[in-house]
Amino acid sequence: MITGCGVVSPLGRGAAAFFDGLLAGRSAIAPIRRFAADDLTPHMAAEVVGEEFARDAGARAAAFALAATNDALAAAGLASGAIDPARLGIALGTTLGGMDLFEAWEADRRVATTAVESIPYFGPAVTLARQLGARGPVATPQLACASGTYAVAVAARWIERGEADVVVAGGTDLLCRFVVAGFNALKATTDLPRPFDQARRGLALGEGAAVVILESAAHAEARSVAAPVRILGCGAAADAVHMTAPDREGRGAAEAMRAALAAAAIEPGAVDFVSAHGTGTVYNDAMEARAITAVFGRRGVAVNSIKGAIGHTLGAAGAFEAVLCAEAIRRGVIPPTAGLESIDPACADLDVVSGAARPTPVRIALSTSSGFAGANAAIVLGAV
Amino acid sequence: MSRVVITGIGAISPAGTEHALTDVMARRPVSGALATLLDADWPESVRSRVARAERVTQLMAGAAGRALATAGWEAPDEQPQRDVGIVVGTAFGCFLSNLTHQQRVRAHGPAGALPRVFAATVSNAAAGEIGIACKLGGPAVTLTAGAASGTSAMLHAAALLDDGAGRALLAGGGEALGARVERWLRDAGLDTHPPTEAAAFVLLETAASAQARGRRSLATVCGGATGFDPQPGTDAALRATLATALAHADVPGNALRVVIRAAPPAFRAAEARALAALVEDADTQVLPLKSQLGETFGAAGGLGVIVALAGLAPGEHALILDVCGTGHLAAMVVRRDDGDWPPLEQLTT
Repeated sequence: MITGCGVVSPLGRGAAAFFDGLLAGRSAIAPIRRFAADDLTPHMAAEVVGEEFARDAGARAAAFALAATNDALAAAGLASGAIDPARLGIALGTTLGGMDLFEAWEADRRVATTAVESIPYFGPAVTLARQLGARGPVATPQLACASGTYAVAVAARWIERGEADVVVAGGTDLLCRFVVAGFNALKATTDLPRPFDQARRGLALGEGAAVVILESAAHAEARSVAAPVRILGCGAAADAVHMTAPDREGRGAAEAMRAALAAAAIEPGAVDFVSAHGTGTVYNDAMEARAITAVFGRRGVAVNSIKGAIGHTLGAAGAFEAVLCAEAIRRGVIPPTAGLESIDPACADLDVVSGAARPTPVRIALSTSSGFAGANAAIVLGAV
Repeated sequence: MSRVVITGIGAISPAGTEHALTDVMARRPVSGALATLLDADWPESVRSRVARAERVTQLMAGAAGRALATAGWEAPDEQPQRDVGIVVGTAFGCFLSNLTHQQRVRAHGPAGALPRVFAATVSNAAAGEIGIACKLGGPAVTLTAGAASGTSAMLHAAALLDDGAGRALLAGGGEALGARVERWLRDAGLDTHPPTEAAAFVLLETAASAQARGRRSLATVCGGATGFDPQPGTDAALRATLATALAHADVPGNALRVVIRAAPPAFRAAEARALAALVEDADTQVLPLKSQLGETFGAAGGLGVIVALAGLAPGEHALILDVCGTGHLAAMVVRRDDGDWPPLEQLTT
């Protein structure tokens, strides 16, 4: 069960600020200000604002995650000491969360001073685990841009298998020159992402962290917590065709969604909302249109993308979408797809929510993510 | 856990698996330059693909390929197999590509960024390349848990199979290191054995799948556990992880024939106390694998399995332990089955 959510996003801190910004159709994508970007083309991205996150190299991604976690634990009513440390786990995904360290090393700049903070890749998860005193399972799932989604899947499996009672699950990633220059080199970026639009030209990057508190039903019931949303099933599959380009037919993404639905014992027709990966690149969105249509049928389910609002937050993206799905279920409304004005005929079989938020009961939602190396992951969330 | 079995094993270690087995079992130190060799039996399309990849992918592809070969597994000619996947454990999987990308951007500005290099900066690059080469269309997962990454990956793969997410998964991991990694480890003060490059994989398969293919299993994954020590070097978390692993495997400590111990130097005393409380049988052979091979991070779990199985008779059990200075812990229990041990020359490249 999801008993708490925490968000540090370009739209603001907190699940409410994040979701309200999405409902309003706001976009946080703007010229990069936190580091020198004049020679980066394009140089638009969605940055997290806040002096509390202006840290030494290596510490920013962990600071995002720690703030989101503290907020999520507070929302769950889990104060320090309320969880048996031996039954507390951490599953925190990232794609390029420590890459500012490489910039600092090469420039001989100051890096975070502790051994833990100066670990690329799994430093944020270790930081969280030590701060919380966790003695249960701790891991950093790395499925590129599907990392956050799979982190939630890992956490749900730990709880389902009795390996933990409470798991902090999510993702964190940050913007730096390393990341922006790399995506620009792939010709994957643009100033204004337009998911599923016929004029889409690419993605804009973003940063931040999102965390959900997953709790076993027994643990939540023992402390009389009524959680409105639970994870019903998870799936993963690989394209196994190309390192950066998606399978044009979306076979891996469709398989991940089918696996998640099968694990949840849910028929596609029962799903009310799909949070798509929806990067705004030509090939991703066309691939997803085929995959979603293959699973749910033509205009068979409401779909949206949040990457026109907060950019592509890489390893955190799937975690943001888990929070989005939980809020959509709780509030009964689906946010619009920022940046979408005129749907691409190649995506016309999708019922993409655009223009304005769509009030509708959402009992079952599915979030799908895809990443470099052909990684695909999906989770199914449902009202309790 | 329903039956998840090991039907294939493969490794690239500093002195080859043969030396690793004989010298580690004899408690002799091993050393030697690690060559990246490509399997001569692979189709040209696979060899050329792996030859272009980063070093860590080459090492892991070599070990994974051997695991598939010893399992008698053949890749399909056409579409990827949706019920076969890969779970990789690695601590610093893409470090060398990250460094190359950063150095190019710093030296030449953004124009120095190369798409091919940037694509390899993600930690799951090796899983992706191996999946493409071997047409693995099932889950492609990479987990990072410090020096416990490999054992964590194998346990996660076993859980996936146990839960019905496919019929076979390559599981294990590897590392490619370099001066910058070693300098970082030194500067950060993270306690480790001397860092060493290696890769090791097993092919995990449901018992039903192995039976359907007519393969006898080399071993059964009995169970295991992962944990974390927020104050690394203390006894409590390690003892709890060990106890949970044995309970999950339903194997008493005194039934273990071989234990692969793994603690970095500063944590040896705590590990020794935890194991002493657990292993009461004087016949249990405790092997300090990392003292011999060095700290191979993501490869350590797979190497531990191979070394442990080599010392077991059918029906005997071993415990593979992974302990990282960051606090990550993993413990896995395996039982040797009656499948024929592959000829050693098939295990090494």
